Amino acid sequence: MALAPDPMGVALRRGLTHAGLFLGLLLLWETSARLGWLNPLFYPRPSDILLSFGRIYVTQGNVWYHLYVSLGLVFTGFLAGSILGVALGSLVGLNPTVRRFLQPYVIVLEATPRIALAPLMIAALGFGAPSKIAIIMLVCFFAPFINTLSGVINVNEEKLELFRALGASKWQILRKLVLPDAVPVIMAGERLALTAALSGVLVAEFIQRDKGIGSLILTYTRNLNMASAFACIFTLTIVGFLIFKGMEWLDRRIAYWNHDADMARVSARRKARWEAR
Amino acid sequence: MKLFKSVIASAALAVMAGVGVAQDLTTVNMINPLPRSTVFYPLVVGEALGYFADEGVEVNLLPSDTSIPYVAFVQNGQADLAMLDQTETLTAVIAGAGINTVYEVMQNAPEGIAVLKGGDYAAMADLSGTTVGLVSDRDRAFLQAALSATGGSIDDVRTVVLGESGPVLANAITRGDVSAIAGSVFDWATLQAAGIELQLITPEELLASPANTFAMNAAQIEPKREAMEAFLRAWSKGIYASIGNADMVEAMLRKAVPEEWEVEAAGKSLLDGVMPMNTSTTPRIGDLQTDVWSEIQPRLVSSGAIEREVPVTEFLNDTYIDAANDFDRAEVDADVAAWRAANM
Repeated sequence: MALAPDPMGVALRRGLTHAGLFLGLLLLWETSARLGWLNPLFYPRPSDILLSFGRIYVTQGNVWYHLYVSLGLVFTGFLAGSILGVALGSLVGLNPTVRRFLQPYVIVLEATPRIALAPLMIAALGFGAPSKIAIIMLVCFFAPFINTLSGVINVNEEKLELFRALGASKWQILRKLVLPDAVPVIMAGERLALTAALSGVLVAEFIQRDKGIGSLILTYTRNLNMASAFACIFTLTIVGFLIFKGMEWLDRRIAYWNHDADMARVSARRKARWEAR
Repeated sequence: MKLFKSVIASAALAVMAGVGVAQDLTTVNMINPLPRSTVFYPLVVGEALGYFADEGVEVNLLPSDTSIPYVAFVQNGQADLAMLDQTETLTAVIAGAGINTVYEVMQNAPEGIAVLKGGDYAAMADLSGTTVGLVSDRDRAFLQAALSATGGSIDDVRTVVLGESGPVLANAITRGDVSAIAGSVFDWATLQAAGIELQLITPEELLASPANTFAMNAAQIEPKREAMEAFLRAWSKGIYASIGNADMVEAMLRKAVPEEWEVEAAGKSLLDGVMPMNTSTTPRIGDLQTDVWSEIQPRLVSSGAIEREVPVTEFLNDTYIDAANDFDRAEVDADVAAWRAANM
């Protein structure tokens, strides 16, 4: 009989492979820079980037304020954009009349490059946080909107028929059928929206470069301080990764029925609670 | 409980004090290309010495890179002042924007045309038939004037906007993607600090021209007199305090904009480059050089940068200049000495 693979061992092996690959790439980069194959003006050494991390986070500490400003904008813009997207997506999905009138405008707006609208946002809302949030909101709006719309209108027809045959009310159909089907799709939209918010904040800060990590990157690249510019860019990469993982975790908590392991966990908990009664 | 009450009372007092301070200061919104920077150090110096707060103003910079002209923000009231160059000013006046130039921040042009030292191009005439890089769209008019001054025309060259990113500029000029870069001293400073040797081929006659100036909505000159005079006086004090005190300016900048000083050579090179630009050459600091504004216009017209000449009386307004210079020089000297004693 074959032995079942040890999951911890597999995870460890995979982790080590990833770490080895990553370190190998860094080593290659460092060596290439040191041997002069890469122009340090454009591609600083990883060791210099590491030193810059230390400088901007510890000795100089100037990145914290910019990071705080940018993340504040990211989450505010994301919340505003996704609340609007989900609300409007639900409304359009559940109400065919609203869909008929609103959908063409939304499609046209989606086809419009949002970045091109950024200067108009500033002209309309003025300089400062409101116009930056509006830019991020616009970038974040479409994924939740489209996913909510698609989740709501693409209900399983057979199940719907069954619900109707059993005399379920509209509210019951919404709560027991439409939402459980739509939530995983909506969560996928939210995940896309939050990662898009990071790009949105960069666009906003590149145009209005008073503060924020985008503005700091511009200052560093303008001054040819590429090590610090890369440190800021990698900061965004790490933040983006953490955001993605955070959203994955949230997805498993909210739409647990969509993931076998989480479904089993919730079922076990409910069963235990039931048995304790 | 007693401790809790005193904490609450202190917090309330602190909040009220904060509100009080905020109410006392008038915000001056200024649109310009950069956030607080070595490039416009009189602001940093004025703030470090407390001049803006003393004058009752706080400066809110609106650094932006939008496709909408700065003057639009002055017209719609979002900005009290816009930092404009000569062509932007004249173009706006010709378009009927209703603005007045009230103060000259830089009295000689930081703009220029740079080529690689020892390269294939050594004069403006050599650029014919080549591609010239522009740091921003704003530099097109300057290139146009520079070519025209040497008997050429903008049609003789192809232009490409490179942006202000250091690596892009460095790459373009060193690889020969562009023959020259039309930009400003701020752009050269970092490239030179990175070891890229440049040579300026800007025609002499273009060097003496008002560069960055403060323009405002003409209709707001009187309503905003008090705040504007206070702002410009603090700016002038910043200029005056910096004269002969480059080391102090450097120390202030290191604290206010550390990101520009991480690469020592780049920070120093930038400061060396902008020091002469930010020092007024007129007896009154920031004064309007009517003769220079008149002289540059025929050249700008012939190069096609502006449509027609404009009488300088239509847009130059020195109504704030006396007030901007109305301060005690000895007091500023004393402030500088005190700051040095405390910080250096």
